[in-house]
Amino acid sequence: MSNDLLVVEDLKKHFPITRGIIFQKEIATVKAVDGISFTLREGETLGIVGESGCGKSTLVRCLLKLLEPTSGRIVYDGRDISGLSRREMRPLRRNMMMVFQDPYASLNARKRVGFIIGEALELHGIGTPAERKRRVQELLEVVGLNPEHFNRFPHEFSGGQRQRIGVARALAVNPKLIFCDEPVSALDVSVQAQILNLLKDLQKEFGLTYVFIAHDLNVVRHISDRVMVMYLGKAVELADRDDIYVSPKHPYTGALLSAVPLPNPETGRARKKLVLEGDVPNPINPPAACNFHPRCPRFHEGHCDVETPPLDTIAPDHLVACHYPLERWPMDLSERPAAGPQPVETTG
Amino acid sequence: MAEPLLDVRDLRTEFHTDDGVVKAVDGVSFTVAPGQVLGIVGESGSGKSVTCLTVMGLNDPKFAKSSGEVLFRGEDLLKASSSRLRDIRGNEIAMIFQDPMTSLNPVHKIGRQLAEAVKLHKDVSTKQAYARALELLKAVGIPRAERRIDDYPHQFSGGMRQRVMIAMALVNDPDLIVADEPTTALDVTTQAQILALIKRLQEDFGSAVIMITHDLGVVAETADDVIVMYAARIAERGPVRAIFNEPRHPYTWGLMGSLPRLDVNVERLYQIPGQPPSLLNPPVGCRFHPRCAFAMPVCREREPVLAVAAHDPTHEQACHLDEETKAREAATLVASLTAGAGA
Repeated sequence: MSNDLLVVEDLKKHFPITRGIIFQKEIATVKAVDGISFTLREGETLGIVGESGCGKSTLVRCLLKLLEPTSGRIVYDGRDISGLSRREMRPLRRNMMMVFQDPYASLNARKRVGFIIGEALELHGIGTPAERKRRVQELLEVVGLNPEHFNRFPHEFSGGQRQRIGVARALAVNPKLIFCDEPVSALDVSVQAQILNLLKDLQKEFGLTYVFIAHDLNVVRHISDRVMVMYLGKAVELADRDDIYVSPKHPYTGALLSAVPLPNPETGRARKKLVLEGDVPNPINPPAACNFHPRCPRFHEGHCDVETPPLDTIAPDHLVACHYPLERWPMDLSERPAAGPQPVETTG
Repeated sequence: MAEPLLDVRDLRTEFHTDDGVVKAVDGVSFTVAPGQVLGIVGESGSGKSVTCLTVMGLNDPKFAKSSGEVLFRGEDLLKASSSRLRDIRGNEIAMIFQDPMTSLNPVHKIGRQLAEAVKLHKDVSTKQAYARALELLKAVGIPRAERRIDDYPHQFSGGMRQRVMIAMALVNDPDLIVADEPTTALDVTTQAQILALIKRLQEDFGSAVIMITHDLGVVAETADDVIVMYAARIAERGPVRAIFNEPRHPYTWGLMGSLPRLDVNVERLYQIPGQPPSLLNPPVGCRFHPRCAFAMPVCREREPVLAVAAHDPTHEQACHLDEETKAREAATLVASLTAGAGA
């Protein structure tokens, strides 16, 4: 297929934990990203959700080759980039840009906004200084800031305006693909809506493709075409937005959805909630097989803790890694599937 | 109506800074009945946290000046001596802070920190204090509490640290718990655990709770009454169903419309233009008028007062718009938000 912009195959990033100063001995590994595969189509927005520590930021850093993946293949626009060196990556970088989470920490406080936005143009040797200045002013206008403000410093802007500067910087070299790592989580609701609308408008205008990371499921529903749910370094569910939100199949997705407070006193309080027990396990020593099994309400002993469920197609364009996917939604998650492949307990 | 537990009247707090006087809370009045959950929503800088810090007497007196009345069971806390305040805080009013990572002392064991809180207010032996600490850890659902009591805060996850903070707040069965963004730093599944815990404890212990948050979802699911704050003032106040089903203030409409929804697909979010005003120099007239789609000439001149809405005596709002427009706009908004939901 020609419109697959990014193809990721079995991507892994393991961080070694070593002990000893001179003779370093590897005592364990943190499997931050553990075998992720997906395809990103041109012009779409892929949302990645998961709780802190599930590896979503590490995944994006690997895709951008800011971190060297341990294994796996990343194919960008038909070209395998997983083995490329930093120097070989450089010309490709103008196609993929990033918007960061913290609009306060991600802008150099000592540089003027014009320099911050135009730096990528300079690095890639695009245009003359006068052209670059014109481009920066144009970009400021595109993201809804005053073009006359290119000589100001970041501290003269509010949080939402800084995030606009971050977006303008990412747009400077006309990238095809923008990675957004929690771009609105540091902003107030009213400002968050402005940035989300801006990102959607820019996508339409410039035909951008987004990979959008967030922990806020509401935001991900709003912005994404497809959604990937991650848990402990693995993708547990990947489907079109409406499939994920209307008929989730993985119990973890169901638990996440039922945990989000709804801004509606009636439906919010009336619906049945599933409160997961405990915390996300330690990634140094994750549970065997399906790593969600210790917290899963549909856990089957002797199956879920023995055999790893593969990420399988359950419906067209709907991938789930679960032995006992949910039959319908909303459903009482503690309800056991009537006849599983290996029924261990007799249901009473 | 029952005697309110907390009666705040015309509370004003200003901070004297190098740039001028910041009126962080500017004429806020509300009451909390025993056992009631009051939600205060607003964006950063709307004065919701400062309101509660002032109620608790936790502002630095060097910079902050407060006026008005904070009547806790009839006693004005603004006039209370610092030793009397210390006595009330932790005993009758307890606070849960936003950041469980920085609110615990990293060099002391969990048990010691809890026991210290017990001993501060009760004349008990160290052994008894530890026994109480253990009991509380079990009450807030720390697994294997007997072992975990000797752990340091860094050995606990974020959600468990917040449970410890809640345990600490519960030490003396307070009548009022002030929770300042208690779940903001937590993941959704952990947030659900903590909210369920606060609700269960509130029912078991019968405490009243002031829940400060920026998350309308949290308010909708936990609060009995809601206050919406904007630029140091109350924009709207009422029972939770009234606020969500019949909002009467353009700012509340904006907040609700700008929220991405889990239950409804919205193509484009409503956006409130501009940003919250600086409290150094707030707009004249209604403070929301520069961002309000319904602003009229009167909004630029006269500040609206918080008045009872015509349709509902429990619902108050501060807006010059006529009732008819407000009812119509609210109905359109709520209809657009509930369309497709409920499935």
